[in-house]
Amino acid sequence: MKLLLLLLAASAAADRVLVLVDNMSIRESHSIFFKSITDRGHSITFKNADEGSLQLIKFGELQYENLILFAPSADEFGGTITAAEIARFVDQGGNVLLAGAGSNVGAAVRDVAADNGFEFADQLIDHVNYDSVLDDGTHTTVVASAKSQLMEAPLIVGDRSKLGPILYSGGALVAAPNNRLRLDVFKASSTAYSHDPTKPIKDYPSAVGRQAVLVSAVQARNNARLVLTASLHLFSNQFLSATVNKEGTKPSPSGNKAFVDSLAKWVLKETGVLRVKSVDHHKVGEKEPPREYTIMEDVDYKLEVEELKGNKWVPFDGKDVQLEFVRIDPFVRTTLKNKNGVLSARFKLPDVYGVYKFLVDYRRVGYTHLLDVQQVSVRPLWHTQYERFIRSAFPYYASSFSMMASLVVFSFVFLYHKSDPVVAQAKKTN
Amino acid sequence: VKLGKTTRKEKFLLLLTLAGACCLAFIIRLFSVLRFETMIHEYDPYFNYRSTEMMVENGFFPFHNWFDAKSWYPLGRGVGSSVYPGLMWTAGSIYHFLRAFQFKVDVRQVCVFIGPLFSAFSVLATYALTWECSKGNNGAALFASVFIALVPGYISRSVAGSYDNESIAIFCMILTFALWLRAVRTGSMAAATTAALAYLYMVSSWGGYIFVTNLIPLHMLGLILTRRFTHRAYVAYSTYYVIGTLLSMQISFVNFKPTESADHMPALGIFGLIQLITFYNYLKDKVTSEGLRTIIGCSLLGSVGLVVVGATLTGKIGALSGRLAFLFSTKGAIPIIASVAEHQPTSWAHYYYDLHILMLLFPLGVYRCFTDLHEGTLFAMMYGVTTLYFTGIMVRIVLVLAPAACVLGGLALSGHYYAFLPNLSAPDEKEAAAIEKKKDRKKAGVDGSYPFKSELAAVAVFIPVLVVCSFVSHSIYMAREHYSDPTIVLRAGNGKLYDDFREAYKWISENTEENAKVLSWWDYGYHLSSMANRTVYVDGNTWNNTHISRVGQILASDEKTSYEMMRELDVNYVLVIFGGKVGYPGDDINKFIWMIRIAGSTPTGAHISQKQYMTKYGEYRVDSKAPKKMRNSLMYKLCYHGFGALMTHPRAPLGYDLSQNQEVGDKHITLEHLEEAYTTENWIVRVYRVKPPANKFSG
Repeated sequence: MKLLLLLLAASAAADRVLVLVDNMSIRESHSIFFKSITDRGHSITFKNADEGSLQLIKFGELQYENLILFAPSADEFGGTITAAEIARFVDQGGNVLLAGAGSNVGAAVRDVAADNGFEFADQLIDHVNYDSVLDDGTHTTVVASAKSQLMEAPLIVGDRSKLGPILYSGGALVAAPNNRLRLDVFKASSTAYSHDPTKPIKDYPSAVGRQAVLVSAVQARNNARLVLTASLHLFSNQFLSATVNKEGTKPSPSGNKAFVDSLAKWVLKETGVLRVKSVDHHKVGEKEPPREYTIMEDVDYKLEVEELKGNKWVPFDGKDVQLEFVRIDPFVRTTLKNKNGVLSARFKLPDVYGVYKFLVDYRRVGYTHLLDVQQVSVRPLWHTQYERFIRSAFPYYASSFSMMASLVVFSFVFLYHKSDPVVAQAKKTN
Repeated sequence: VKLGKTTRKEKFLLLLTLAGACCLAFIIRLFSVLRFETMIHEYDPYFNYRSTEMMVENGFFPFHNWFDAKSWYPLGRGVGSSVYPGLMWTAGSIYHFLRAFQFKVDVRQVCVFIGPLFSAFSVLATYALTWECSKGNNGAALFASVFIALVPGYISRSVAGSYDNESIAIFCMILTFALWLRAVRTGSMAAATTAALAYLYMVSSWGGYIFVTNLIPLHMLGLILTRRFTHRAYVAYSTYYVIGTLLSMQISFVNFKPTESADHMPALGIFGLIQLITFYNYLKDKVTSEGLRTIIGCSLLGSVGLVVVGATLTGKIGALSGRLAFLFSTKGAIPIIASVAEHQPTSWAHYYYDLHILMLLFPLGVYRCFTDLHEGTLFAMMYGVTTLYFTGIMVRIVLVLAPAACVLGGLALSGHYYAFLPNLSAPDEKEAAAIEKKKDRKKAGVDGSYPFKSELAAVAVFIPVLVVCSFVSHSIYMAREHYSDPTIVLRAGNGKLYDDFREAYKWISENTEENAKVLSWWDYGYHLSSMANRTVYVDGNTWNNTHISRVGQILASDEKTSYEMMRELDVNYVLVIFGGKVGYPGDDINKFIWMIRIAGSTPTGAHISQKQYMTKYGEYRVDSKAPKKMRNSLMYKLCYHGFGALMTHPRAPLGYDLSQNQEVGDKHITLEHLEEAYTTENWIVRVYRVKPPANKFSG
């Protein structure tokens, strides 16, 4: 947990971004995108993807916090970088933004994608939604509607109702169905398909309609983030500053700038980052947590959560965080009341002893996984804590006391009352 | 040992012999300390030791209310209310007593030497019991006390280090019986009260108290049936039962069982019966009409019958508790009870090993009891015969049988000597006359004398001496070779010691997080919580069958399924015992069949049946013929992980299991969700770490 906090703290500070490119011209052709990143305080290092001195991890330490792979045609990376090293990089908390292309995707890039459960399909073609000005006739410069094709995930894509149409040109991603961590942030429209535009269509296209994923986001279990897309063009100056012309609609500025900015913010961990500041639980009316709780005690639980906003940790304002009190199954489940980032609950412990966990397991799209586990033991009553005088036992008390009294009376009578000899006589004769 | 009234010299001899027997009893149990060290043995003693430490550290009431969150995770165990605390009380008192006199002993040393110490006490108690049984026969009592000092069946549970309930409970039991017989003999309420106090000690120290609870009523019943029921017996039993029961209910583990469970009902029934009989006898004096007496008698019996039936139907009297029910019918028993090695029937060889000549003296003792039948001998007989019957079902009862066999053996030998010793000395006086008689008048001899009387007597006296000598040497052999092994350190046939258990527990205690949870089969639970100080799931206090079954399911399922279950239970480490490298037969693969049975005994594990783990010919194998289910089970994988590349014997193929004597079927076992954390020198203990779920998508 501490480590995680450290990592989170590190990511809050301005951090190092390594950008690997096929050739340095990308630095110019995508300068708007890069500038917006440096403007937000990140320091970018540009390297050719095949440069010999490349290194992501040195002596077990990350050299960069973020990696942007804008080298779709790289067949192999230089230095020590391989798909496996990138996997280790992610396992240690590094974030990755990977962009492919419609054609000529290099083996190295394919490896990285495959590692995360994606394959690149051919060029995306849409004969209905294309840009009438930018397109070269192959209908590969696709115009996407933000509202219907983006995922409802404000933290990742921004406010999609305010986004203009998005220009897209590139391939498509096919996701492995058992990749449960992925979020299909941006899907192709139902009229799109993926194929090489220069060749006649003989086989069924590798990706068709909404199953073709254009941008996918993955948040690993250690909260490292990956964004994969099959289009490097998505981030280009040309698209970012373009005006979209689509048949039958009015020309409008493209939504690419806002979209890729919020994507970058998300993947560089500027948005949707939560952390536990402090957690505290104790009996009602006390301050320190006891060594062990006793069944049926009233307990106060308090969790302070913060969210990273604009490089500052501010109190988290979520109202839907739930607390569970778990012993294999949850015995108590309650929604925490949020008061300025302090989430609290007061409840009565169950009448069952055992080892329990105060568990907050908050998973929301776009947010880092907020998990806090506090193990406590709940003991049965002490022998002095049981009810002493039970109402239903009064007959028994009465009977035992009357028994004692009558024994005393009987002994007294037996010992000090001499029976009349005449009576004894009479009995004998009987 | 001579006949006649005791003189001062004889008293001195008697005391000397008794003291000698006590010392002998103590010393013969020290082999384990000499050969190993002052260490706690086996499994349950580790729990007792841990509890004692807890009590010594925190005091009596914290122990009484101790909630142990480190065992039976996540259920926890209220130890104070589920333990027989007599052992801990005893050890704690001795510890504090010694400390008060500035003997700086360690709790562990007190615990280790409790067994030998109470064996010495048992010698005295047995003397008293036999004395009572034989109406003051010092010879029989001395024989019995020497026997109890040496009988291997008792040594097995009371060697130094065997810090178990039985080590003091046998003493308590003998003492209770002795005091009970004294109460019956004297008919005094004070004597009966002392018996009840001894009974309290017995109840506080061992679950086997139920035998005492039932044997004493049985003795009463015997007295009634043989028309030996007297006012003395009435006073003794009424006092003993009422006070003893009330006292026993103060032990929180026993609680209200004496009024509810069927195990205790015979005692209550006999209590009622003797009241009725006494009342009936009283009426017989007062009421003259024959018919009226019959009517009263019948109505009394009828009402009692109605009460019993009513109580049973309304569920006030439950069924027999598991272990007791097992004694009467081994069929349909819960596998968890049947799985325990000491719950298996006794083999005949075992009787010989544990009792030796007492097995031969036993029937002779019973015969002696018949020749002089009274309250005491009746008791000795009943005690012997009932325990003998129960040993046929459960081997651990041999421990209870041993004192009975000693008492009966003492009666037998003393009877034997009383019969023959006079003959030995008789001829000395009229030696010549006797020889003459033999030569001259051979036809006479109906007067109790017979030819070679003194020689025969000499032989008859000499043979038991030989037999007793062989008994002594046998006992020493058993104590040295068989009952002094601590189990925690294994000794191979060639004298090599395997200290893998402690190695592994040490590793766990030093290399895992403090609140790490270690899953293992229940046998090793006490070890883990005591030596490794880690949270465990199940242990020898097998109170929750479902939980044990769950652990069995985890070990019997394939890795993926068990991983889900382990995640649910927050397992951090899994520990298995593997004997394939050194040929240790008590390993988990051997116990696995029981784990499967126990796993399948609850509804959630109903899909697991032992057939799936056996070949179609019903064989239990681990080689390439083993069924897929077996080879995919977590237990198999954890035991044989990496074993395929190991050479265990120069003439065997790689991966040859010396315990199963088979070549392992799967030589390249890969684990997905677990990783090997530690394997001890001889591979006996293997510890695996449960990995967290994959950080991201993997394949």
